[in-house]
Amino acid sequence: MGFIKTIGGVLAALLMLTGCGNDTAKQDEGNGKLKIVATTGMIGDLIENIGGKHVEVTSLMGPGVDPHLYKATQGDVKTLDAADMIFYNGVHLEGKMTDIFEMMGKNKPTIAVTEDFKEDQLRKVSATEHDPHVWFDVKLWIVAAGAVKKELIANDPDHEADYLGHYEKYVLQLKELDRYVQDEINKIPEDQRVLVTAHDAFGYYGQSYGLDVRGLQGINTLSEYGSKDVTDMRNYLVENKIKAIFIESSVPRKAIEAVIQGAAKQGHSVKIGGELFSDAMGEKGTEEGTYIGMVRHNTDIIVHALK
Amino acid sequence: MNDFWIILVGALVAGSCSVLGCFLIVRKMTLIGDAISHSVLPGIVLAFLLTGTRDSVPMLVGAAALGLLTVFLIQLFQSSGVQADAAIGIVFTSLFAAGIVLVSLYTQQIDFDLEHVLYGEIAYTPWNTLTIGGIEAGPKAVWIVGSCFILNLILIFVFFKQFKLVSFDPALAAAMGIPVLLFHYVLMSLISMTTVASFDSVGSILVVGMLIIPAATAYLLSDRLSGMIKVSIVVGVLSSVIGYYSATILDASISGCMVGSAASLFCLAFLFSPTHGLVSRLLKRRKSKERYA
Repeated sequence: MGFIKTIGGVLAALLMLTGCGNDTAKQDEGNGKLKIVATTGMIGDLIENIGGKHVEVTSLMGPGVDPHLYKATQGDVKTLDAADMIFYNGVHLEGKMTDIFEMMGKNKPTIAVTEDFKEDQLRKVSATEHDPHVWFDVKLWIVAAGAVKKELIANDPDHEADYLGHYEKYVLQLKELDRYVQDEINKIPEDQRVLVTAHDAFGYYGQSYGLDVRGLQGINTLSEYGSKDVTDMRNYLVENKIKAIFIESSVPRKAIEAVIQGAAKQGHSVKIGGELFSDAMGEKGTEEGTYIGMVRHNTDIIVHALK
Repeated sequence: MNDFWIILVGALVAGSCSVLGCFLIVRKMTLIGDAISHSVLPGIVLAFLLTGTRDSVPMLVGAAALGLLTVFLIQLFQSSGVQADAAIGIVFTSLFAAGIVLVSLYTQQIDFDLEHVLYGEIAYTPWNTLTIGGIEAGPKAVWIVGSCFILNLILIFVFFKQFKLVSFDPALAAAMGIPVLLFHYVLMSLISMTTVASFDSVGSILVVGMLIIPAATAYLLSDRLSGMIKVSIVVGVLSSVIGYYSATILDASISGCMVGSAASLFCLAFLFSPTHGLVSRLLKRRKSKERYA
């Protein structure tokens, strides 16, 4: 029976070690700000814009972090535990974490910024599944902004006027951004409106602004691309005389370079159009570290290379 | 309480895996955990294609089915004379390859990888709770890996003699009338069940690591199987505790730190074990040299 005794002893010791005095007494920092956790940087940026000085936002996935490769740290446990509200993308972007957010909804508001999207606003990728990369359609991001405003007001009615004011101001900026993107894309000759990229994060972007988006891989960063994909892509580029293709900050360059070399062998030169931000924004403090800056940057790069 | 739940789940996974790992070390099959972590892919793809959802229940059923198929095939090949490591290699690479083919044929457009749909994250343990009849009954993971742990312990405890003999000397066991193949399959099924259930709760690296490292550490510290099992459980649980607090200090991945701690404990045993350690062996060699010099 030594077996059972050993285990019992170890478990008892464990309980003593962690159980005593560790019942995290939530300390309010008393600055009166809502502590909000966002999963992606884009969502964090949205909340900062609408919440203003009434919120303190932490984004779990920082600059350059691919949500598909995100790993939680011990500190994230504390951050999530201490949060007053949690905002996430939804549509399965966060994978199994989505279930956790739904569970946490029992104790604190956990909100998918896509909660108000209608079924037909989402791109279908299979009979039952939708494309989660909603943020590159600025019109849809305005819907997400509405959800953020609504939830902030519901949970902090004292500052309703401020949230409403910030929201209206920010929506104006988003609408201007939306027009800017459309105007710029329209400058590309119609037969050149093809966006070839290593990662299918731009489905909504293409759909909304009239670009044909071609991906080498599926949406999935990890799914293996076959040699047939590379050949198909090369033939497509050569036949349609596509001038440039794009890589992204969070996807390896290898696959793309294979395609370029293939095309060069057939006498068609394709250049790398520049780096687009896809699943994560740029460094904080830079222009591309905000949602608006990121979308503008991507649009400028695309238009410059294809015009 | 968060700390307690996470460490408890880590300790339960480590405990289950350590016990099973001891038998795997003896049979030179420790990489079976890694094998299962890959070979379940076709199972979850098929489960998705059949049900059309990525909910965890169908995914778990698919993974469990493939886990069983994996250990069954490995056992089948091995008992027909294929080397243990080769049997593991053949089965898991071919099943994983089948999974990749299925993904590329049917689910290219969707996020579909093990990391996303099957592997859990130990950090989220405290929030994934079970409610029975309106009463909060603690984290689901505690119940799942806890039941695995208890089932493993009971079966190994009750049939200890049989498992031991079957692992060390199958021929003798057969001569004594023990159904060798049956016990092999029972052990393998326990491994398959424990790994798949733990993948869902804590992710892959913790399971694969704990299946190997604590048992290998105990192997250096004890010469008897029963002693080895006890030591490995202690090592496994210690790794979970030390790992959690190192993750706190480093603000790093919890399961990563837990396996890292297990590895550090292994290094300590490797250097300083009184019987098999590097240091004690060097000392012994020097002594015997002096004696004959």
